[in-house]
Amino acid sequence: MLAVDTPQYLPENIFFGIIAFIMVVSALRVVTTRNVVHAALWLILVLAGVAGNFILLGNEFVAVTQVLVYIGAIVVLFLFGVMLTRAPIGADAHLDNDQRPLALVVALPLLALMGYVLWDAWKDTKITEAGPPIVASTSVLSDSIFKTYLIPFEAASVLLLAALIGAIVLARRD
Amino acid sequence: MDAPFVTPTLDYHALAPEIVLVGALAALILYDVFSSELNKRVTAAIAQLGLLGAIVPILTLWAGDPRSMFDGAYAVDKYAIILKGLFLAAGYLVVLISVHYIGEGDYWEGEYYTLLLSSVLGMMLMASARDLISVFVALEVLSIPGYMLAAWRKRDLASGEAGVKYYLMGVFATAVLLYGMSLVYGLTGQTQLRAIADAFASGQAPKPVLSLAIVFVLVGFAFKVSAVPFHTWAPDTYEGAPTPVTAFLAVASKTAGFVALMNVVAVAFHGQTDVLRWMLVPLAAITMTVGNLIAVRQTNIIRMLAYSGVAQAGYMLCPLAVMGTFVKANDMAAADNSVRTLLVYLIIYAAMNLGGFAVVIAVARRTGSGEISSMRGMFQWAPGMMMALAIFLGGFAGIPPAGGWFGKFAIFKTTMDAGALNDGAGYFLAFLIGINSVIAAFYYVRVIWTMVSGNEGDLPQAPLKSPAALRAAVFITAVAVVAIGVVPTLVSHITDNATLIAAATGR
Repeated sequence: MLAVDTPQYLPENIFFGIIAFIMVVSALRVVTTRNVVHAALWLILVLAGVAGNFILLGNEFVAVTQVLVYIGAIVVLFLFGVMLTRAPIGADAHLDNDQRPLALVVALPLLALMGYVLWDAWKDTKITEAGPPIVASTSVLSDSIFKTYLIPFEAASVLLLAALIGAIVLARRD
Repeated sequence: MDAPFVTPTLDYHALAPEIVLVGALAALILYDVFSSELNKRVTAAIAQLGLLGAIVPILTLWAGDPRSMFDGAYAVDKYAIILKGLFLAAGYLVVLISVHYIGEGDYWEGEYYTLLLSSVLGMMLMASARDLISVFVALEVLSIPGYMLAAWRKRDLASGEAGVKYYLMGVFATAVLLYGMSLVYGLTGQTQLRAIADAFASGQAPKPVLSLAIVFVLVGFAFKVSAVPFHTWAPDTYEGAPTPVTAFLAVASKTAGFVALMNVVAVAFHGQTDVLRWMLVPLAAITMTVGNLIAVRQTNIIRMLAYSGVAQAGYMLCPLAVMGTFVKANDMAAADNSVRTLLVYLIIYAAMNLGGFAVVIAVARRTGSGEISSMRGMFQWAPGMMMALAIFLGGFAGIPPAGGWFGKFAIFKTTMDAGALNDGAGYFLAFLIGINSVIAAFYYVRVIWTMVSGNEGDLPQAPLKSPAALRAAVFITAVAVVAIGVVPTLVSHITDNATLIAAATGR
């Protein structure tokens, strides 16, 4: 499940366990807290955990991007959204709704199914060797963006432009 | 340590349609910025020019050999070229039916066409996408403008609801899809569809996780093509969105969803016949039956078209559902043929549906309503439009002079062929197609009946006058539907060499 079980990877395995635990607890808090702002703040912990996992995998560039984009931009956007739409900042009893039992019926079997399937597939799998050196992994990433995935990369820029224009039209007061 | 960066070789001819479209998009935005409020109608002309201009390289590419880039990740073969042409034509027709609707209403015109062109660009990329990342990005490029266009009638709560529902369901589907894709990547270490097929064929992937990955990917696309039980967003979104946008979503967006499904299912997953079968056969069966049963009860023509569109999606899933039977029998030509059947149906479906929505828009200009009862006596006050709508609805029902019969017949034949290969599911689907065609014929003919039967108490109404662009759209689609119905070889011939599986996997 984890990295290689030779002694020099023991710290990695320990840290993975800690990070995973923090992420699960924070993710639960995101959906159970009664305060929208707190939910956004718990989300930061979840996303930071993802970044931590990327560092454990030796890909610091993706980790930094994760922090910049998700924590730096998206969560801040959430907070701005809460502020600008005058959503209640304090605790709100109405954040929940009466669909909980129904959601449980869907979510629990799905969790069990996915958990079993993933365990079944990768329970014995070990990462056999350390990934490529960190510097190379960043350049490999950039090479593949501008080589293999050039067209999706360019298309994403059109997407962002269109999303920007549409969002301005929908959000402006007229 | 680092390998030097090698600039990828780009085949600009293969990319020319997309480049023309992006050029038109840039010109449109620049014009929109620097023009006065009174001249916004020009933006529609720029969009039209861009869409028509992009057809020119499509024609030159059609004459040449198949091309591919990035080691096959981006393919411009006959299959892709046909679909690109279809998307451009559909986009052009949507602009035709939008011009007056958007120009006369309280809408942001230039931005509307900007989003429309970006969405069409995403669809064109989807036609060529042969790896998971391209498929995903193309899906987002075509969907996100769609979410926003659905909410384009800004002061209207129903339109806002349409946009939000579409957006939330779409994003949820995307999340499921991405999870499935990440499992596929985790299993194979590949993003290219062909390489994924090879990795799956080696049989090392554990079956449970492989099945879960495929099911998640299929569920993600099932939302996009509004298959039951993932269709709940469609009627509200279709009814609430501005009607030209509805036409665009019902035709272009759904077609693009099917293209994504064809690319992924036929190329990457075609070897996993049992998973596909257990997923797609029930999906197709439920989708067509539920769609038709609910459509019977609708009194609003747009909701009726929405549910009939759900039922049509069920028919269209059938060839993909039985494709695995042919693969199992090792008859790859027949498997490719079932993909081609779907391709033919998509072309006919686009013409019928766009035409139908064009007539609905033309009638709503007079009546201001989408209720079927408001079309009473249309035979007297709009005979041309009435005939056109009768052709389109007759096409949906599969009544011979209109083109729909050929698409339906081809699907029916494919399922029967699969049945003949000792596959009960093929006969089962063929049987359901037959029953559903009867149910569907009932509500389509009922609309035609409402249009011809006059209301005796009513005063005779003045003849309906429609703008030229709208009439042109109705005329083009009606001619296309009748032409395909009378000479089906028109579509069956051009799709002859569109061999998706053979071209992508070399099998």
